Amino acid sequence: MNLNIEAEKQNTYDAIVVGTGISGGWAAKELTEKGLKTLVLERGRNVKHVVDYPTMTKDPWDFPNAGRLTPEDLKMLPVQSRTNWIGQDTKHWWVNDLENPYTEKKPFDWIRGYHEGGRSIMWGKQTYRLSQMDFEANAKDGVGVDWPIRYNDLAPWYDHVESYIGVSGQAEGLSQLPDGKFLPPMELNCVEEVFRDKVAEKFGRKITIGRVAHLTAALPHDPSRGVCQSRNLCSRGCPYGAYFSSNSSTLPAAARTGNMTLRPHSIVHSIIYDEKKGKAVGVRVLDAETKQEIEFFAKIIFLNASTLGSAFILLNSVSNRFPNGLGNGSDQVGRNLMDHQYRTGAEAEIEGFDDKYYIGRRPNGIYIPRFRNIGNDKSTDFIRGYGYQGGGSRDSWARGVAEMSFGEELKESLTSPGPWKIGITGFGECLPYSDNRVTLNTDKKDVYGLSTLTIDAEWKANEKAMRKDMRVTAAEMLEASGFKNVSMYDAPNNIGLGIHEMGTARMGRDAKTSVLNKWNQVHEAPNVFVTDGAAMTSSACQNPSLTYMALTARAADHAVSELKKGNL
Amino acid sequence: MNRREAIQRASLVLGYALTGPAIVGVLQGCKASPELTYKPVFFSEDQALLISELSEIIIPKTSTPGAKDAGVPGFIDQMLKEIYTKEQQDDFLKGLAEFDADAEKEYGDHFALCTPEQRTALVKKHHDAAFSKGVDLGSTAWWNAGGGGKTPFIVKAKELTILGFFTSEPGATKVLQYNQVPGPFKGCVPLAEVGKAWAT
Repeated sequence: MNLNIEAEKQNTYDAIVVGTGISGGWAAKELTEKGLKTLVLERGRNVKHVVDYPTMTKDPWDFPNAGRLTPEDLKMLPVQSRTNWIGQDTKHWWVNDLENPYTEKKPFDWIRGYHEGGRSIMWGKQTYRLSQMDFEANAKDGVGVDWPIRYNDLAPWYDHVESYIGVSGQAEGLSQLPDGKFLPPMELNCVEEVFRDKVAEKFGRKITIGRVAHLTAALPHDPSRGVCQSRNLCSRGCPYGAYFSSNSSTLPAAARTGNMTLRPHSIVHSIIYDEKKGKAVGVRVLDAETKQEIEFFAKIIFLNASTLGSAFILLNSVSNRFPNGLGNGSDQVGRNLMDHQYRTGAEAEIEGFDDKYYIGRRPNGIYIPRFRNIGNDKSTDFIRGYGYQGGGSRDSWARGVAEMSFGEELKESLTSPGPWKIGITGFGECLPYSDNRVTLNTDKKDVYGLSTLTIDAEWKANEKAMRKDMRVTAAEMLEASGFKNVSMYDAPNNIGLGIHEMGTARMGRDAKTSVLNKWNQVHEAPNVFVTDGAAMTSSACQNPSLTYMALTARAADHAVSELKKGNL
Repeated sequence: MNRREAIQRASLVLGYALTGPAIVGVLQGCKASPELTYKPVFFSEDQALLISELSEIIIPKTSTPGAKDAGVPGFIDQMLKEIYTKEQQDDFLKGLAEFDADAEKEYGDHFALCTPEQRTALVKKHHDAAFSKGVDLGSTAWWNAGGGGKTPFIVKAKELTILGFFTSEPGATKVLQYNQVPGPFKGCVPLAEVGKAWAT
């Protein structure tokens, strides 16, 4: 008895954060900086900034087989390799699919990284605010439920996050894509400038440089991070800390407070709910190395295990009070799964700039903010809209395979850069559908003997109609810009491949139809906060990570203030 | 044509008979000409010789390094062993055998033992034929190099050669230019200021 009490005491903290990805890192930073003794649980291994980036400074010839994955590698990555971009340089960041199974009722690409920092190491770094239009959209269209917050609720937290992580971008004054606290923008190249000017002239649409979480100037508050060197080897981990990741930024900040205990190999599989107290009191952890079950306790719990990971934990937290999973009285946990659709658009060639080139590999492209269904632009085929991402470049040596020559002639021609090309792909909003959902599968177990998820989701009519427009409109803009050989493309794109999965524990105003309140608290268990992608009530069309971070910082502030008032 | 026949022919061409240590070396296959510059892990010695000479025809040594200097033959050998599936390996070897058989048919000799002019002519014949049929490589053609898709042998060999060459240090740094740490991105500069194409 006494031993148990002693053990419980040892395993008790002010706060527990589950996950160290882009939102978990923020929860850790904010809670520890506000003085809370915080246990941060990571299911995978430690990844220390710089020290644990084994490939970060390798040259192309340092990898065997030009960096290609072997059939043995591919056997372990049947889902992860659907991305088509994993090579020897980054294969250590992606989960072994055989050890982490799930069931696809319909094809769903679940792309994951289980290690400290999670996908914040490999993310695309595109960083955009949602707008007032996005927060109002569900209510206006009668789709899903209304967001319980508006732009002004989140704006100061967008400021807070952007200022800290460093976001390079160009202010454009667009209401549908609010400006932020920007470091200097990266440069457009010669043909992108032409495209920007032509599209403005012919369509009245903006083209801007991508807004990215890269430092283009020093951050006075964080001298450990350096300025981007245009290596574009980001997803290996950056030796300069030039792009934002949990590893380069928030986790070191949390560690500096002395208030963080980061425990790796700690698989949180459920939340402990105390029926007498009527609240969540801690989490159950399976130690991935020792296979031991351990319980940890805290006054508040932040779930940042990723959209599907957090849904899993809620669904798997079954008690008398919550027979269908913690906080799932609304039956909305696991529903409304969304992603962004992309990989369709158009490309073209540009003549007249053969004497121009660029220096550096810019880890960024152009962005065309949403214009559909805004102002006088009305689509009859679909609601909401999409943005475009893409860019121009000169063809590389790879063009040589398709050239008619070989020998000296081929070699000579490849020493010069190839023709200018430009391409864009849409990034389209996905609506929340209650039958796009994940459920707990207690029959199929993972290597730890834990239940798994079954995913049943698909693009529906609105997304399909939008997809056609993404393609045709891309070609229209390239044509109107005077570019040559415009061609449309539509590559296979399972839901999930956008790696923007979200929505499985949505925020809302009503506990009957949503899981979280306006502060990301579980309606039915207010000391549990979910601040990763699961919280999203609609998907908008912007890359979502910034919004997860802002929601997390806002929720952490509220949590600490409520804790101090004795309300939690 | 076997090695004995090759020696006879060489003797005729040269007008004298090889004797002594030289001929012993050739007969034992330890002093084959052309020479292999690496030890194959996948190909037989004859196959390796063919690939070696073929890659050098595709990217020859000029004032800058060629395929052999850059270790491309060894690269292709290792790719076949470690990246290609059994089916892709078989397909590649079948194409290689057919290509060599055509050399015998046209010139009465293994490709590797043909004269440089004959080799070039044979590559041109196969290369032209492959492209006249319209090889659809698309803009992501170079990815096929690891997958050995349904392209003719000559195109697969070309893909592998180009991939191996421009990802090698000599190809990237001596034929093209490479800078791992370029510094802040400059979007629009005169080509004359940059010089050659970037390797990455």
